[in-house]
Amino acid sequence: MLLASTSTYFQYFADSVAYGSLFALMALSLSLLFGVMGLMNFAYGELIMVGAYTMFYTERYGWLVMILATFAAVIVFALVMELVAFRPVRRASPSTLLITSFALSIGLQKLFYMIFPPGSPRTVKPYPWLTNQFEIKGVLFSRLEIATWIVTILLLVGMVLLLKRTALGVQLRASTEDFRMAQLVGVKANWVISSAFAITGFLAAAVTILYMLNHGDVRPNVGQGPLLIAFVGVVIGGLGSLGGAALGGFTLGVVINLLSATLPRSIQGHTLMFAFLLVILMLVFQPNGLMGTIDKLRRKRITEEIPRAAEEPAT
Amino acid sequence: MTEATSAARGRQTRLEGILRTLWTPLLLSAFMVAIWLVVTHIVDDVFYTSEAEKFFLRLLIVLALQIFCGNSGILSFGQVAFMAVGAYTSALLTIPTAIKQFTFLSMPGTLKDIVFPAELSAFQGTIVGGLAALVVAMVFGVPIVRLTGVAAGIATLAILVAMNVFIQQTSSITRGTSTQIGVPQTTTMRATVIWVIAAIVVAFAYQQSRNGLRLRASRENDRASRSVGVSVPRERYLAFALSGFVCGIAGALYGHYFITFSYLDFYFDLTFLTIAMLVVGGMGSVSGAVVGTSFLTVIYVFFQRFEVNGIGGTTVPSGTADVVMALALLIALILRPKGLTAGREIPWPRDWRWFRGDRRRPPATEAPGTAE
Repeated sequence: MLLASTSTYFQYFADSVAYGSLFALMALSLSLLFGVMGLMNFAYGELIMVGAYTMFYTERYGWLVMILATFAAVIVFALVMELVAFRPVRRASPSTLLITSFALSIGLQKLFYMIFPPGSPRTVKPYPWLTNQFEIKGVLFSRLEIATWIVTILLLVGMVLLLKRTALGVQLRASTEDFRMAQLVGVKANWVISSAFAITGFLAAAVTILYMLNHGDVRPNVGQGPLLIAFVGVVIGGLGSLGGAALGGFTLGVVINLLSATLPRSIQGHTLMFAFLLVILMLVFQPNGLMGTIDKLRRKRITEEIPRAAEEPAT
Repeated sequence: MTEATSAARGRQTRLEGILRTLWTPLLLSAFMVAIWLVVTHIVDDVFYTSEAEKFFLRLLIVLALQIFCGNSGILSFGQVAFMAVGAYTSALLTIPTAIKQFTFLSMPGTLKDIVFPAELSAFQGTIVGGLAALVVAMVFGVPIVRLTGVAAGIATLAILVAMNVFIQQTSSITRGTSTQIGVPQTTTMRATVIWVIAAIVVAFAYQQSRNGLRLRASRENDRASRSVGVSVPRERYLAFALSGFVCGIAGALYGHYFITFSYLDFYFDLTFLTIAMLVVGGMGSVSGAVVGTSFLTVIYVFFQRFEVNGIGGTTVPSGTADVVMALALLIALILRPKGLTAGREIPWPRDWRWFRGDRRRPPATEAPGTAE
């Protein structure tokens, strides 16, 4: 009955790539923070929340204002978040940081429920010229989807250039390897961590705009769902590995989207459950994630002698 | 003559040793009974009675969390999932058959044959709920006990989310996103207080047992404890399973108190609240669980009244109480990361000078054999 033609597969693929791109960006920024300061940031979802509300209130002034305002608001918010909540507990253990970010995340959600009581639904109105689909050889595209691909590729290339070619990038990468050592050779802790938060905010703003133009519904817990999936992506990519996180987020997004499009209806809803069970197994058997596995194989070939010292992620 | 006096002194110190060991659970239990009596006999106000009931239910969950997190030092976001198992199991087995036949139309046949005729009493339902949670905790415990730190945090979070998706999507067994219908409301304050006291005793007994001691040793220094022969995963597994069982009991009681519960009741809000209570009180001790739960409940109820009735004619917007909870946890994490009790139990009266700034260890007792 359902004889899927090639174009159907292309269709699934096109949708999945756009979906996966967003999670690649999110996982990348989560991983950056984890690498630099051992923080698995629950409150990342609230950056998206702040961005979503900014979009809702500035949409009436035109799209350019909206985009600029969203970037500004989210980046400022990320920096304030670091200053107020995370700087005082910076030296704490990663699990304390995890609880801190959890408290911050729930607190901000509750605060937004308080400030913007539910009742009148708020939505970011989609731009028809962005979301309307058009057909190329039997495959439906929307401009938003294409924009998502382009933005993701640009941001990823930008991140690579930033990390590889600039002084800040070197400092950031040094900090993800060994924060203590980086400080000893003159990397300023406050500067690196603030920059990491600013980058996180920048990526979060981009994700927010692309995500909200598609989903629209502005709620205080709007960031929670995507955040949980991005968490999974980070784990699959390997805690603290930047490239791995982007790859993991992307793979996961693609797989989830493909599965929910192709699985039989009766177990379709359980896709996420399997994803999260996979996470537990991943953490136990492949704690370094996909990239860790690839890395291990490569290292094994190059040197059998030198034992892998960096077992644990930077604390 | 001298022999007789020394024997008498020996008896006295032995008695003191026993009392010293039992002091914390006795005092905490007396505190629970006192709250119960004051609320039911002296205050006797519907609002405060229901708040006290919720307090006892939450305390039961926090105690369950303490058994695992407090002794192992690993934070778990997943215990609420085991609560859900307890609540749903007990509900399925206690809802009258006549109602079940209409509310669970699509339940698979084999399960139907077991579940439909069952009309357990509340107590039986609670026990079976606890056992079901125990089984689920024993399954998830296998991978979890091998992880620490952030990895354990994310893995337990994964349990919570996976369970939530399961409940939401498996509507043939859980009614999915709809609330339960016909769960008998059997949880009384007296029953809850008894369960709480039992949980205090169990938590304390476990902490003092050799297994508890081994696990606490691994919390302080993983490698050192392994070097003296502690099998860390095995000790963690025991604590995780025990905690799961208490969570299941708490969940069943919770279900039989709120009766119309759904998948939303066992998710981030409850997880957050219970973790906040445990961390604010101090994870490391049973007293910490009780102090944290009491302290945050008082603050929460105060702000709730503030929202509804106002104080001095001013009210705060609704939702303030929730924000204050998060603030309290953040402030505690920044100013006092080990919690109000700093992970200590309530000291024996003779050692109270220990509290007044003299941070040395309490003097060793004369009866070395009795104290752990």
